[in-house]
Amino acid sequence: MKFKGGYNIAIEGRPSSDVKTLPEPEALYLPLRTSRFAFSDVCVEDGRRVKLGEVLAKDPENYSVPLLAPRAGLVRLRTAENHIVLEDIATAPQHLHLAEETAPHIARQMGSSGILCHKLLTLGAWQFFYDAYSGSLPEPFRIPQAIIVSTASCEPFLARGDVQIRRELQAFSKGLEYLQSLLEYQPIYLVVPDIESDFAWQLRENVRGYAWIRIVEIPLVYPNDNFTILARNLGLKPENGPVWALRTEGVLAVDRALTASEPCTARIISIGGPAVKTAEHLETVYGYPLNKIVDSYVSETDVRIISGGVFTGSTIEAKQLGLDSECSGLTVLPEATEREFLAFAHPGWRKRSYGKWCFLSALRGEFQEIPTTAVQGEERACISCNFCEEVCPAGIMPHLIHKYLYNDDLDEAERARVDLCVGCGLCSFVCPSKIELAAQFADAQGRIRREPRPSEERGKHHSEEATL
Amino acid sequence: MKHLLNLFEKLRPGFEKDGKFAAFKPVFDAAEHVFFAPSTRTKHLPHVRDPLDVKRFMSIVILALMPVEIAAVYFFGLRIVLMIAVSYIAGGAVEVLFAIIRKEQINEGFLVTGFIFPLILPPTLPLWMVAVGIVFGVVVGKELFGGTGRNLFNPALVGRCFLALSYPAAMSAVWLSPGTGFVGRAFQYVDATDVQAITSATPLILAKQGQLAGLSDLFLGRIAGSAGETSALAILLGGLLLLISRVANWRPVVGILGSFAILGAVLHYVRPDSFGPVLWHLFAGGLLFGAFYMATDPVTSPITNGGRWVYGILIGVATVLIRNLTGYVEGVMFAILLGNICAPVIDEVVIRFRLWRLRDER
Repeated sequence: MKFKGGYNIAIEGRPSSDVKTLPEPEALYLPLRTSRFAFSDVCVEDGRRVKLGEVLAKDPENYSVPLLAPRAGLVRLRTAENHIVLEDIATAPQHLHLAEETAPHIARQMGSSGILCHKLLTLGAWQFFYDAYSGSLPEPFRIPQAIIVSTASCEPFLARGDVQIRRELQAFSKGLEYLQSLLEYQPIYLVVPDIESDFAWQLRENVRGYAWIRIVEIPLVYPNDNFTILARNLGLKPENGPVWALRTEGVLAVDRALTASEPCTARIISIGGPAVKTAEHLETVYGYPLNKIVDSYVSETDVRIISGGVFTGSTIEAKQLGLDSECSGLTVLPEATEREFLAFAHPGWRKRSYGKWCFLSALRGEFQEIPTTAVQGEERACISCNFCEEVCPAGIMPHLIHKYLYNDDLDEAERARVDLCVGCGLCSFVCPSKIELAAQFADAQGRIRREPRPSEERGKHHSEEATL
Repeated sequence: MKHLLNLFEKLRPGFEKDGKFAAFKPVFDAAEHVFFAPSTRTKHLPHVRDPLDVKRFMSIVILALMPVEIAAVYFFGLRIVLMIAVSYIAGGAVEVLFAIIRKEQINEGFLVTGFIFPLILPPTLPLWMVAVGIVFGVVVGKELFGGTGRNLFNPALVGRCFLALSYPAAMSAVWLSPGTGFVGRAFQYVDATDVQAITSATPLILAKQGQLAGLSDLFLGRIAGSAGETSALAILLGGLLLLISRVANWRPVVGILGSFAILGAVLHYVRPDSFGPVLWHLFAGGLLFGAFYMATDPVTSPITNGGRWVYGILIGVATVLIRNLTGYVEGVMFAILLGNICAPVIDEVVIRFRLWRLRDER
């Protein structure tokens, strides 16, 4: 498979493959908002004692995906704003006897795959599914044209697929089989890094003979693991139906939900970045108090804690108290404070740049940078250096679209295919003029989606005139 | 360092909105940011950014101009330094003035323009002409188009073009013979009053009369000519840095030199009496300087890679034709300005084609 653009950065604090289990918490703080979901439909009342796996809230906008209780405990609704707090956590797991909730009509109509799908939805595994094109939650009870399973993670730093599978290789293959049973004849693309290792070999051995799995090897370059990029490069067109995409943890969740009928509340997340003491993987549940993790892992005080990677992750704000159900890794960056003296004249021994020979670090071998949240320069007019176009994985011309948007010409930007932007953020990253390209494109995409396009209206107008 | 930072902090209120010198905010900002990079934090994705910024970008260009500058001082004396100072002061004043009027940041791009400009002038040109030229170049070539990033023409070339048309005698008939020996003219100050040092011809002028300068003299730069254009060696050294640091795009350079070499070789083969040998022509005049330092200006060249090839080839071909078939001995300046004019059109065609290819992507 051929990829356009892409660029890797090497920053300090790459999580090791050690997986550590966090100590049992005293209380869990479950945020009601995550990047995709808003669990606005709260199903429990204050002061009730819930069992593990009980539905605490639902997101009515997203096919009623549930927020399940990761532990048995006492519900507090008013302790923290926008959180459901579970106190008095039971140490011994008390399993909920799943009341055989009747599957909705549509699920029964679909037969076994519909029932499985319903189970995924109610046990919290459906939340690991993404629509490859939009990144949103895909519609359940529908057969996609293909499923993409990505075991690679290229962004610094997300939980690594190999770390998650290594412990549960059997469960992984079982999960793949379940995925297949959701389909009729459609393929599953298993995306693996194109590296030689014992583990890669083992993984391949494990899925050998599964005719419906097509192994796709990708170079480990950010953002080759982006679902939209993968779907495009696999030639899957949106007009042929939805494409489902999930990562390693998603397949493991499918297995957990369908083999053991257990709620999917546990996760393996990564913790990494220049400001952590030991970068590793953590086995935990969502709702785990963030301050506990910060206290034992973060070495500095003025830091930015990011849910996800440094390119696409979102800043965790102070009012969020626990891990949200979509967090796949925590990256901790020191905030920018230093004002560098005569920065443009520094030799740049410790600065790695896309324009490699602009800094003396070009003479060094591979090394890990210690980046901060600094913009590292002032915003200037575009100098058409073309770096953004070179790194763009979508094959569009970010600098050109920027010029159109600068002139507030949304029509031209649309013609220049701003809609193809996948939001990887590489253009903003490399831009020497420090232009917020990715943010501008996301904004433009939103405006194009929301507004009735003037061009269409004009077109309508024209046709009306013609009929008159 | 700390004291300097404190000084800036102390002066800052005067330049704020209601301060006494509020109009001079761009000057204050520029001065502050030269010494201390701002510690702005990222507000949008991604959270981290590449350390390369425009200041660094432009410092690399200045660094890449250093070999040329050193060669110019060696061959033509300390006056070159003075010319650069004049160019910086006169052009910088215009830049600052426009920044204040527009309430915009002062742009680093000027540091390159002001440095390049004297290097494409005859080394004995009166200083007032240097000042007039750079002011004209910056105002007409850049500011009237809306400032850095929006200009159509390379401001330094606009300035030179203006001088060449207004003062043809000073710009094309008074040249300085290069220094020789270990120190060259490195410690001399020579201007047009030194009759012995003045010559009326550059190798390209002499070539029209059938006299070819030696190739090694051309390569090292031991010839009369514009201050920075004579030494092919120095230009190649600096040009190499520009290309490997990716500050300059390699496509226009290869396009210009490649098309120049191929067309020149073919024409020399067909009609050896009217077209000179190609290697000689590559090193003579301003071709190399133009190809590496002027045609690679990202603002005035096409923004698409395909366009950069077309642009390079256009300039290379135009240079061969102007040099050999017209009354002008040197064609690089006009060729690049021609390229500048065509750049938007070339881009338009390439962009149309690229968007046509993207039409089916989803």
